[in-house]
Amino acid sequence: MNAADLTSYVPVYALHMLNERLQILVSAEQRRRLEREASHRGVSVGSLIREAIDAQVGAVAVSDRERALDEIRAMRVSATVTPEEINRMVEQERDAALSRGLDR
Amino acid sequence: MSFLVDANVILYSALVCEQREACLRILEAIVHGAPGRTSPAVLEEVWHIERSGRLGDLSGLTERAHRIFSPLLPVTDEAFAHALALDAASLGTNDRVHAGTCAANGIGTIVSADRGFDGARGLRRVDPLNARAVRRLLAAA
Repeated sequence: MNAADLTSYVPVYALHMLNERLQILVSAEQRRRLEREASHRGVSVGSLIREAIDAQVGAVAVSDRERALDEIRAMRVSATVTPEEINRMVEQERDAALSRGLDR
Repeated sequence: MSFLVDANVILYSALVCEQREACLRILEAIVHGAPGRTSPAVLEEVWHIERSGRLGDLSGLTERAHRIFSPLLPVTDEAFAHALALDAASLGTNDRVHAGTCAANGIGTIVSADRGFDGARGLRRVDPLNARAVRRLLAAA
């Protein structure tokens, strides 16, 4: 490979550095389930476990959560509504969505 | 000790109403580590209200709440089984699913303004306006 060949390469950057090793023990049944699911999805067992970790303990940074809270705090919609009215509105909106679906 | 946050707490935090400041304080505690959780079923309710526009322009509220609460508690087969088995005449189907989600995840407290949860066995309701109960909940968390 010469220098000219190298210019055609596109650099690829990893979004996450996978440099921490974690050894865990699982049951034979859990291992079978992991391998079956990984095979079904066409991913590695490691990838599946990393995905499960993110799903369980979250990947949203505190700064993002703080920003979300600030954005909610900036919302100032004037409305007086009881929890019972909220429940009723949700039911009505679900019914309306269902009716719209049936009308199509 | 984890607790579930109901849809009305999220909605009240964005409305100019009596419950607003108390609900914002609860969300703030969660942002900074208090173990308050919610589920897709709860956020779906917020989303219905947001999309309907019936309480005014709440655009973005559900997405913001999702950012605060992610990862959400899953509504699993077990949660649904608990919901079906629940003996609580005061609860509608949505609220039964929330109570079932609590049961499936070992959560014994729901923060909600909805008195309907008072009839759910094994589940303690903390009203966001009950400052002492909220303080105790957050201190224990």
